[in-house]
Amino acid sequence: MAKELDKIIVHVAEIMINELKLEDVTPENFDPEMDLVDEVGIDSMDLATVALVLRDAYSVRIDEDDYPKLTNIRLIAEYIHRKLAA
Amino acid sequence: MLDTRASTPKKEWKFADLIADPAVNERWRKVRKYFFLRESTYDMTNRCNIRCEGCYYYEGEKQFAAENTDPDAWRQLMTAEKARGITFVVLAGAEPSLVPDLCQACFEVIPLGAIATNGLKRIPGAVGYKIHVSVWGNDATSQTVRKARNLLHRQIENYRGDERAVFVYTFTRHNITEAPAVAERLVAEDCRLTFNMFSAPVGYAGDLRHTPASLVKVRETMTTLLRQYPRHVLYSTYNAAAHTHTKGLHELYTCPYPRCNPSEALGLGRSFRQYHTDLTWDRAAACCVPDTDCPDCRHYAAGSAIVTSKLFRHAVDPDTFQSWLDYVDTYLAVWVNGYRKGPNLCDHYVDPPEAQRSAAETAPRSSS
Repeated sequence: MAKELDKIIVHVAEIMINELKLEDVTPENFDPEMDLVDEVGIDSMDLATVALVLRDAYSVRIDEDDYPKLTNIRLIAEYIHRKLAA
Repeated sequence: MLDTRASTPKKEWKFADLIADPAVNERWRKVRKYFFLRESTYDMTNRCNIRCEGCYYYEGEKQFAAENTDPDAWRQLMTAEKARGITFVVLAGAEPSLVPDLCQACFEVIPLGAIATNGLKRIPGAVGYKIHVSVWGNDATSQTVRKARNLLHRQIENYRGDERAVFVYTFTRHNITEAPAVAERLVAEDCRLTFNMFSAPVGYAGDLRHTPASLVKVRETMTTLLRQYPRHVLYSTYNAAAHTHTKGLHELYTCPYPRCNPSEALGLGRSFRQYHTDLTWDRAAACCVPDTDCPDCRHYAAGSAIVTSKLFRHAVDPDTFQSWLDYVDTYLAVWVNGYRKGPNLCDHYVDPPEAQRSAAETAPRSSS
């Protein structure tokens, strides 16, 4: 189960890097605890874009009301993991 | 009895499929370049050279704030705003053209923005913001509602041929039939125009407030003018659908401005501020049209942020997503100097997602 979550974390990081054209970071070294708003500088429209790509990848809908809680990659991955398990 | 809704579920579109069409993909890439825009608004002066019925500025407490007329203080404010991530400023109340030096000071620090003006006094060309010139009907109506003589003529004289200028026609309940003649005159002068909806301030007791019948009439008029003057009218059918619905913007889209949104996590709830003329701000009152009655809000400036921010809920099918793209394309053309609007992708009415959802819920179930 931890392995599954780790895989999702790397995949979310990969999508975020690709979609938001983040530089100097790779999916493997992207700190999953890093605050996406304060430290990475992403905002609601960026998050919505990433949420759409994640919806395609996992068939999981990330509700707009939940965006404020998803402040780092680990939280996003855990959210997806929970929905997949449900 | 069969519930046909259950047996024919709506197709779930992948986002990749929604942007697969080359024209749609190009528009998506064009608009997403501007996702970095983070706005706040600023009352520049408590003075105005006219008094309009239903003016939101002269409601509530903000009109009594002292004026800070020091350009250096405004430069410092803009520098601090830039540091906290603001990339787009809207200079509004009461009449920014009366303080051109303050507008210039803002422009020197944050070069993207827009100014709301009545257009009676020209804002110097060095201030490279978009200029929104408010129009409330023909000259006779302006005389009645705004106490200003020959207003349209003076506005055109000031802004004819000015790439910054967009004339914003505010539909009230009573000036709908005047819009075609005003539009014709503006188009003849090669002026660009867009549409606003009168949205009543809190406690407003006048008769400009819209009714269900006037909303229908406005929608038809907007659509006719959009089709008649596609090069000059900066609008889309989805703009018309969103702003003339019997439900206001707040009910349709859930307003993210701080006044209605307690979350400070991200988006407008995190970054938006509405500064008074003394350079203070109040989170509890912060939205782009403070002192507007939220349930009646169909204001173009509010919609520009509210509808645009709801990307996820519009990415449900090609029509709804393309309508959203048209809306964002229109928003950028109206608000960002130098941005050129493309042809609309969707030319028929699409209901806002919330209206689609409630229609589906209340639709009679087919039976056999």
